[in-house]
Amino acid sequence: MCAMRLTGYADKFGVHPGDKIKFYVNCDGPAEYKAEIVQMIHGDTNPRGPGFIEKLIEADVNGTYKGRKQIIHGGSYGFAPDAKPFHVESFTLQCWIWPTTPKTHPRYWKHGAQGLVTKWSDGKGYGLFINEEGFVELRINEHKVTTGVPIRDHAWHFVAASFDAATGEVVLYHEPQVVYALDPVIEPVKATIKTRIEHSAIPVALAAYVEKLDDGPLAQSSLPAGVVFAGKYNGKIDSPRISKKALSRLEIEQMKLGAQPGLTERRNSGPTGALSEVIVAAWDFWDGIDTIVAKDNGPYRLDARLVNCPTRALTGYNWAGQNFDWKYAKKEYGGIHFHDDDVDDARWEAGVEWTVPEEIKSRFYALKLTTTEGDEDYIPFWVVPEIGKEQSKIAVMVPTISYMAYANEHVACNAGGAELFVYRVPIMQHQNMFLAEHREYGGSIYDTHTDGSGICLSSRLRPILSIRPKYDHFLAQAPWQYPADLHLIYWLEQMGYEYDVITDEDVTYDGVARLENYNVVITGSHPEHNSGTQLDAIHNYTQRGGRLMYMGADAWYWVHSFHPAYDDKGRGVITEMRRCESGIRTWRAEPGEYYHQGTGELGGMWRYRGRSLYSVAGVGMTNEGFDISTYYSRTPDSLDPRVAFAFEGLDYDEKLGNFGLVGGGCAGLELDIVDVTLGSPPHTLAVATSAGRHTEAYLLVMEDFGFNQQGLDGTTHPRVRGDVAFHETPNGGACFSFSSIAFCGSLPWNNGDNNISKLVGNVLNHFMQDGPLPPPPADAIKHRGRADYESPSVAAN
Amino acid sequence: MISIPKKGTPERDELIRLHKECVESMKGVAGFSVLKCETPGDTTVVTGGVHEHPVLRRVLLRMRGESPKGKLIVICTKIDAEWRIGRLSGVRGVPPEFVNDKIYTDEQEIQHDIFLMRLDELPETAGNPENFEEGWKHRDDNWPVT
Repeated sequence: MCAMRLTGYADKFGVHPGDKIKFYVNCDGPAEYKAEIVQMIHGDTNPRGPGFIEKLIEADVNGTYKGRKQIIHGGSYGFAPDAKPFHVESFTLQCWIWPTTPKTHPRYWKHGAQGLVTKWSDGKGYGLFINEEGFVELRINEHKVTTGVPIRDHAWHFVAASFDAATGEVVLYHEPQVVYALDPVIEPVKATIKTRIEHSAIPVALAAYVEKLDDGPLAQSSLPAGVVFAGKYNGKIDSPRISKKALSRLEIEQMKLGAQPGLTERRNSGPTGALSEVIVAAWDFWDGIDTIVAKDNGPYRLDARLVNCPTRALTGYNWAGQNFDWKYAKKEYGGIHFHDDDVDDARWEAGVEWTVPEEIKSRFYALKLTTTEGDEDYIPFWVVPEIGKEQSKIAVMVPTISYMAYANEHVACNAGGAELFVYRVPIMQHQNMFLAEHREYGGSIYDTHTDGSGICLSSRLRPILSIRPKYDHFLAQAPWQYPADLHLIYWLEQMGYEYDVITDEDVTYDGVARLENYNVVITGSHPEHNSGTQLDAIHNYTQRGGRLMYMGADAWYWVHSFHPAYDDKGRGVITEMRRCESGIRTWRAEPGEYYHQGTGELGGMWRYRGRSLYSVAGVGMTNEGFDISTYYSRTPDSLDPRVAFAFEGLDYDEKLGNFGLVGGGCAGLELDIVDVTLGSPPHTLAVATSAGRHTEAYLLVMEDFGFNQQGLDGTTHPRVRGDVAFHETPNGGACFSFSSIAFCGSLPWNNGDNNISKLVGNVLNHFMQDGPLPPPPADAIKHRGRADYESPSVAAN
Repeated sequence: MISIPKKGTPERDELIRLHKECVESMKGVAGFSVLKCETPGDTTVVTGGVHEHPVLRRVLLRMRGESPKGKLIVICTKIDAEWRIGRLSGVRGVPPEFVNDKIYTDEQEIQHDIFLMRLDELPETAGNPENFEEGWKHRDDNWPVT
């Protein structure tokens, strides 16, 4: 199995003509690599399709570059730069912890001690740790004192340690918050260490410790650069404090309150006057939840920078189950969950920079990387026209938030149970094999972290090996997301359409301005993850006469927001999503942890924010299955003159799409249906359906039923189907929905000469025309109910 | 809970035969299910397999729900050309390892060999009280996906 020796990412997804894009390349081994700009046309290597197609673009940046190894310094932690107050003689360290992996398997990728609150490195300094055995441990220089007691995982514990330099007395406390009937009593451990703390110019680390200072590739990608942090802790920490005195147990109890900045009439520092004089730092993790700073409310303002974006807006040790939104009970949300595989930015050195020419088509591009030794990787990006400089009547809205949600997905490897929904043994590609070993590349929002907790944040400033051509996803045993969307791109190219490409970020930040100059906007195959302003823009666009072609399924499903703390690094650097009470969830958010840390908005499904997925393009996802696909059949609705344009040249009885490069048919993977009771406009036509043809692997989504029962699968349940749908929007606009993730996989079949291609071509040709679409027949304007409707069987009587 | 049919029984041989015919019919499909394509490589009409043979269906579900530690998986070693069988480590950060040197040139055939290996590896009483172990209390069954 060849390792991936070439990996990389760019500083942006979408770049305007005339702007610069930077590429960060890891070339681990070969002395040099070749970089070339290519246009991406078809990414699927399936021999039954057109095969892989790229087009070399003449660019001044094309050439050979010196290779260099670059490593991701993964795992989240906080650091406060070295400062005199940290150079204590005596001290007390204390915090609450909720560890998730206090003891790891010897083969675990980061097996070893984990730092909690440390100013310790290489046998010098002081710090509170969980040692390799899973016990609380105090380190003072080369000395170690431990409780010898295993810490229960997934439970709150108060831990503290004091050291009196004058007497050498050490006291180490481990106090579980919940003590069960048969738990042994954990007495404080006392010891005497006659030593003087050796201080060095290293930062204080929270949830880690400083391993070394150097200039190797790992240190260069660290923050602060040059400092390698190790011992990345998995779990929550709340209310860490450092005092410059060995506190009594009573004083430690008082110090839990921290600096108490609310008490301005007294000293604005310290739980008591006396204790205010000994505070070195009292970090209040509840303060500034939407930032990447751990605020020190103590007298020295020794704020800690949080690196690699640990998860915040999580319940603290004192959460009482009364408040569920951190914004209104911040002091109960002092838990920060650190993970040893968090990553916010790979922080690599740029190796290739390209100023995109002014005269270039807006298209899918990639920086193709190769070596003479057979290594290869692609870094995809999109050239997006500036608003007002659109090049075409058609825009393809690239679902980049969804790409980020699936970025570096590990489900086949993490979750043996994934077989239950793919209904076969998963296939891992070499990207999956690489990621299985390189957890520092981070996971997707479908994964759990290495400690088993859900991943709710995803960064695009890291190599994302799933956004690659020639990549089949285990879910489909075929392309998924980026390479699947290239099926559509191939078809547009093959049919000779001129089109622009825009990304989710563009629409999120620019609103309807990003859409309104196009006659038609085409989605990707699976735009599942969306920001609120993006949905606003799409609604505003169709309301004003815009035309939307929704090429896939399971869209407009999850609430996403971009973390504002990363706005200085560009658009949409980190996206956040919480898997709340319903929807298809590979992990489930814990109680009280449904609100985003970045924007404070309620996460979960848009449906439960009162924003029906059915309202966007007329259909909503009801089922998914990942084994094989089937085809669509026309319904009587397809004979309505309102939709005659779509079916020119297609027979009524024709099997639509009983072929394809995804599951062998156009209707598969995840499917949407029309439901006017859930938000489809009442005049929506369901013009074709796959009802009755799906396998038992296809199951009804859980948000559509309230009671577990038999009969939820494709062989029996009436809602397990896909419906191709059409409806008009005001001012000559319209939506056409193809309602299946597999759908685009049929477009390239027979080099684009097939009935799905015909159907989509008919719709696109109609939708791309200038001016409003022709009005519907006068008799189409009539009152229609939702649940209340006239059945054809009644009408016939 | 249904038992895994014993080696050498006609019931087991029948499962193997049914599974094999589905695998053969799925060659060329960009996807896979233990169902029989009426026309090989074409999913327009599918029958048989898990839809019509309840024991085969339940045995497969049992196999699929096993914990990731030591679980068999397919590894693509040359894109759209070669595949091998691997075993998951069950430890985060430790990648799967190949179980043998056999190289498959069809991505569906490998499904059948894994089915045979699992029939041999799963105890007849898997999931029944005789197999109770501490992990049952700690959610190690892995059914909830991740």
